[in-house]
Amino acid sequence: MNLYEHTIVARQDTSPSQIKQLTEKYSKIVEKNDGEIVKTEEWGLLNLSYIIKKNRKGSFIHFKIKGPGKIIDELEKNESIDKNLLRYMTVKVKKFDLEANYFSKKEEYEKKDYKKN
Amino acid sequence: MPSKKRSDNKKGKQSNFAKLSIFQPNKYKFKKSCPLSVKGAPVVDYKNIRLLRKYMSENGKILPSRITNVCQKKQRELSLSIKRARNLGLI
Repeated sequence: MNLYEHTIVARQDTSPSQIKQLTEKYSKIVEKNDGEIVKTEEWGLLNLSYIIKKNRKGSFIHFKIKGPGKIIDELEKNESIDKNLLRYMTVKVKKFDLEANYFSKKEEYEKKDYKKN
Repeated sequence: MPSKKRSDNKKGKQSNFAKLSIFQPNKYKFKKSCPLSVKGAPVVDYKNIRLLRKYMSENGKILPSRITNVCQKKQRELSLSIKRARNLGLI
């Protein structure tokens, strides 16, 4: 069994309900191939640093997946066809850090920085 | 930021070193150790954009390790995670 971090970038004009559908769709694929989703994170609508397929923003969904490598083949096969997605990326890791939330705490980080300055 | 750092470092090395007496604490010399391999240093990760921004120029290029004093091992991790973040459009 391997550990993977999987990130999806969806188009800026996807509605919240569509995003839920997307997460359900891909988590079902994982479960079908004897995988297990340890955690899902929604980073929300973030500014892209450059325009991707005429999109200035993208909504990010992040999965932490445990399972065999077949899952990734299946996931990426489906994602490359999906028109709602801009990018996808998988990274194989040795350990999950489940504590760090770089995106939900973003505002707090900024406040701390300002105080220091 | 990065351009200032460079000039500070170069000047600092020569002038500060001459001024140092034996009794002065060592930390005024110049930064020799890698800031990412100290105890309690943040983990290099493609999700940690705030950290990665520090090691990039304003134009989005990766800064060389001779300016930032990052050790070879961490520099490799940095460049890999910066490239991952670029691909996702985060940086």
